[in-house]
Parts: sequence; C-alpha cells; structure tokens
Amino acid sequence: MGTPPSKENPATLQVMRYDARRGTLTVIVGDPAGVPREIIAQRAAEAMRARSFVCHTSDDDEFLGADEICFIPRAERCEIVSIHTNGWRRHHGDHRRSLVEILNDLAAAVARGTLSFLDDDELVAISTEGHEIFACTVNDSASLAQARAGVAQVLDDQQVAPDARRRLELCVSEATTNMLVHGGGGGTMKLLLVGDRLRAVVADHGPGLSFLNWTEEAGGLNQPSMGYGYKIILDNLESVYLHTGDEGTTLILDRTI
Amino acid sequence: MLHTRVEAGEIPVVYLEGEIDLDSVETFRWVMSDAMRGVAEAVVDFGKVTFIDSSGTGLLVRFCLDYKAQGVQLRLRNIPPVVDDVFSMLKVRTLVGDEAFLDA
Repeated sequence: MGTPPSKENPATLQVMRYDARRGTLTVIVGDPAGVPREIIAQRAAEAMRARSFVCHTSDDDEFLGADEICFIPRAERCEIVSIHTNGWRRHHGDHRRSLVEILNDLAAAVARGTLSFLDDDELVAISTEGHEIFACTVNDSASLAQARAGVAQVLDDQQVAPDARRRLELCVSEATTNMLVHGGGGGTMKLLLVGDRLRAVVADHGPGLSFLNWTEEAGGLNQPSMGYGYKIILDNLESVYLHTGDEGTTLILDRTI
Repeated sequence: MLHTRVEAGEIPVVYLEGEIDLDSVETFRWVMSDAMRGVAEAVVDFGKVTFIDSSGTGLLVRFCLDYKAQGVQLRLRNIPPVVDDVFSMLKVRTLVGDEAFLDA
C-alpha cells in the first residue's frame, strides 16, 4: 500500500492511447516516465481483439501500482485510463465519492463515447470549429452568475427548449466553477455554434487537473463536490472533451440544440 | 444571489430565495449554522430557489449528514423542479434519506 496522498504524492489520473494500426502507445494525460508500455500495449491489443471494455483492479507492480486501469476499445484505437490513489481511501461517513468511483464513471463515459481526452492537435481542431457567439472571463465567484446569464441569453436567442436550456446552464456553471476552484483562479468561457450543436469551451491556465482536488476541500471554500460536478456534466451532455496538462485545462461541452 | 430569511421558533425554518452556487455557499453555510444552533430540528424551505449546483448540493448533503450524526434533524421542503432535478442527478434522497424530505 502506498503513502497517503499529499501535495508531494498526489493521487493521479493517467490517460493513454493505443493505436492499433501503428502499434503505438501515447500518453495523453500524466507523466510518461516509467510507463510499462509493452504490457499496456499488449493488454490494449487483447481488449481490442475481444472488443471488450476491460478493467483491472490492482495494486501490484504489473501496472505500476495503479489502483484501477481500464482498457476501452474504440474503433482503431484503445483508450486506457488509470488511477493511482497512493493509498487514499474513503473514510467512514464521508459522502464524497471515492476516486475509484470517479474513475469508473470517467471510463464508462469514454466507453459510451461521451468523454474524450484530447491531445494537443485535437484540442486546437475542436476548440476552433464553428463560430463564436459569446465569450466572457470568469475570475471570481460573482462572475459565475454573469456567465450563466450570458448562456441563458444565447439559449433564448437560439430558442432552446426550457429543460435543455436549464441543464446546459447547469453544466456550464459546473465547468466554470471547476475552473475557478481548481484552475488557478479563473479563465475564459466561450460559446460556439457548430452546426446544430452548442459548444462551450472553458479554459484556464492553471496547474492542470489534479484528481486529488476532487476529494479535498478547496481553498477553504468547503466545496467537496468536484466529482459531483463532473457527474452532472457527463450525464447531461452528448460529448465532453478534456485536455489537461501543466499549462492548463480545457473542458469542452457539446450538446445538440 | 441568495437571499435568506429565518423564521425562529422551536423548529426554525430557513427560507432560501435565489441561486445557490459557489458564490453563495458561504452565506448558506453561515445562515444554516446560525439557525441550527441549539435546536433539535430545523426546516429548510427551497420554494424560491431558482438555481442550485453541485457546490450547494454538496454543502446541503454535508449539513444533513453532519447534523444527523449529532441527532439533529434537518428537513427539506418545497423543493422546486429545478432543484429536484439536480437532487435526482446526484441521488440526494439516497444520500440523506427520504425522511429528510417533508414532501416525500
């Protein structure tokens, strides 16, 4: 069992992609150093042959002590998501969702095609499609309501049905809240029209998404619900794209309107 | 913006009006902590809440569970559809128990 998470030893998410045609394994999120590429590529190829979503719960050395690693075949490639919790466990009476539960939700969202982790090139392509219809800066909690009001106005203009409108506003609010709390204190939100879809691009220049944050009270705000925010987003949108690294995080939300 | 009003009594009632998000969770926390001081039961009325997100819901769930552990009942009433929708997404009834809902 590893040591408890700390700033020096945080729980981490790793996302990799196995390309069956090229036989390559690319690290999309996380530190590529020390990845047991041969073993992971072999297991990814097995999952693709079986056309099966395969999860291993493990704390042994085969996957460098990953608490859970999921292989998710998608067309010509296999997405691989793993979480290393370094011994963190839900303690008694804590209603917050455990990291492994969050990983299961993320892996399931990848499997059903709702969630995609983006590499740098994919981020540029997706975040510049369509045409911009709204943009704002979100630098403090008071600006959350302004961002929601902007979204509401756009959705009114587009004559979006009330139920879809309410859920879109909620999802954008969750994404911008995540950015405020964990994205270095703020960033930008813009809305794009891409065909019949509304796309929200929420981007910050923070330190990158840390899954340790998802279980911690952040910044004294006692905001224990990061996993809940992502659940709302993943349950209510058709497509969610995530890019995260040392230079910031971009979350892209898509829904047909 | 969140507006609050507390109807004092043996069982205080906290009336909430407006939006419960990251910007207002501190107000929500302060009002609840104040209203719950020294009582065995309290009611939160959501009738005029127009928006709640996971920040507000997370804090509410924490309140319910923490007070329950101390033997204090926190009951929720007049849940409008916009709030009930979020509670359903996050399985709040399962987390805090149906008995916390006066409309159940």
